[in-house]
Amino acid sequence: MGFINGTASFVRFSVEGDLPENIWDFIADRVVAFSFRDIDETYEEDSLGWVSVFNMFDSEFNYASYAAGNYVTLSMRHDERKVSSAIVKKYVQKEEERVKKEKEIPKLSRSMRVEIKERIQNELMRKSLPVPAVYDLCWNLENSTLLFFSTNKKAQALLEDHFKESFGLTLMQQIPYLCGQHLLEEEDVDRLAGITADIFL
Amino acid sequence: MDLVDLIEEKRFVGQEFLTWLWWKSEERGGVVNLPGEGDIVVVFEKHMLLEYGEGESSEKLTCRGLQTELQEARTGLVMGKKLEQARIQLTFNDYEWNFTLAGALMEFRNVKLPKTEGDSGNTQNPEEREGMVLERIFLFEELERLILELFRLFLQIRVGEAWREELLKVREWVNRAERA
Repeated sequence: MGFINGTASFVRFSVEGDLPENIWDFIADRVVAFSFRDIDETYEEDSLGWVSVFNMFDSEFNYASYAAGNYVTLSMRHDERKVSSAIVKKYVQKEEERVKKEKEIPKLSRSMRVEIKERIQNELMRKSLPVPAVYDLCWNLENSTLLFFSTNKKAQALLEDHFKESFGLTLMQQIPYLCGQHLLEEEDVDRLAGITADIFL
Repeated sequence: MDLVDLIEEKRFVGQEFLTWLWWKSEERGGVVNLPGEGDIVVVFEKHMLLEYGEGESSEKLTCRGLQTELQEARTGLVMGKKLEQARIQLTFNDYEWNFTLAGALMEFRNVKLPKTEGDSGNTQNPEEREGMVLERIFLFEELERLILELFRLFLQIRVGEAWREELLKVREWVNRAERA
């Protein structure tokens, strides 16, 4: 969060690849096609897609447009069902004890234990509520750069994949060395490639 | 080279920039002149993170305190540590940003934007809402632009003949911390 209000953390990406001529039609089409689908009423493990930066429940952009001047502003919403390993362990043990008693056997076979673990994991997953996470982005169409408002590496990886899938464009994180290649004249870029770390004392 | 290797191998570029910027801002009492733009006030404050070594053997040193208390961080530089994160106050054209800059990846963290007269974003009017969004984008991009201009200034010196002389000045400043 932080793009719309409060303090914010962000990293910069360059957007590599070409957009078709009818940019806004293309974007409108792709944003809707890859928008967020709710999984509250299903048993799906996770869901990832675009929503409005103003409202995480607005995946149709009725309330606010994603377009602002020459910018596309979107939130990437990721809902995920998670069950802690301690809970899985507890219920697996409980079920193993119950099955042993029911079948009147002292020990369970390996295949039975595997089956119990898988079944319990699935049951618990279905019972757990999807945990939402929302990450904002701001895409500058003129400069082909993008600010992503999270420094979380997992979120950045999800963004790179979902952005590529949605728009067919590749995101490249602008680390200082790559920024330098854009900032310097050609002959200086060659020199930049050759520098090594210096000692400051 | 893929990005993961590039990040590791060129980590020092952003860290050296951050150290240079610290020296550069102290050289003229917190003011850095940006050719074509004018004076920018750059103040290093409150919080710094230095690191030494790579991978699992790396050590980290966190320093907190007011500007005058950052002596410990300077002493860290004397020990060969590199500045990886710093809390910076940047003032330009009546705008003031407060943010933490992480050197190796050039991440902007906990950015506090300049106060403006704009709305907080609760407005229902689509035009006002777009105006507010564009204003925030401008303030984020302006911060990024200024940092990149400072970075360009550093790189032009860093890859050129002037670097030897500049490095001697930075070293003298670092070593003054040891004597202090």
